[in-house]
Amino acid sequence: VVPGETALAFYKAKNPTDKPITGISTYNVIPFEAGQYFNKIQCFCFEEQRLNPQEEVDMPVFFYIDPEFAEDPKMAKVDLITLSYTFFEAKEGQKLPLPGYQ
Amino acid sequence: MSTAMNFGTKSFKPRPPDKGAFPLDHFGECSAFRERFMECLRDSGYESSACRQRAMAYLECRMDRQLMANEPLEKLGFKDLIDEKSEAKPEK
Repeated sequence: VVPGETALAFYKAKNPTDKPITGISTYNVIPFEAGQYFNKIQCFCFEEQRLNPQEEVDMPVFFYIDPEFAEDPKMAKVDLITLSYTFFEAKEGQKLPLPGYQ
Repeated sequence: MSTAMNFGTKSFKPRPPDKGAFPLDHFGECSAFRERFMECLRDSGYESSACRQRAMAYLECRMDRQLMANEPLEKLGFKDLIDEKSEAKPEK
């Protein structure tokens, strides 16, 4: 991946159960210091996604590494950045408290 | 456990994506495009730059099927590929 150039990556998720699952995912970037240079244009994360029983779907991430990464002396030895996602099941009935919501 | 060296370490703050979330491609409408892109990556030794044409095609597939908000491809970092395309077809 070239800093500044947009890139596409794919993950796959499968629901191996016989019930639909609604989940939400969050991500992590290693090394930690590279995270500030990692820019997601669009991905499958942060919003609830529903997977039907036995369903397997592609989960794309469209991103770019900030070109300033190449200027940062602290990043000089970094030639591998790992992006990982964790999918959490969204719990039924768990709602964010909204102001004024009865 | 934390040592004095961790003083001032920030916790990782995930940021939401610039343009929001991709809806899931439940029917695999763009799977063929993904496959072609992945094929290119494997063949090129996972050089992202070599496969931008196919990445663009995948995103175009999504846009055509309402699986991604329409956005001019030039704004998604594909301006050079678009310019190449229009140079190759002067009649269009």
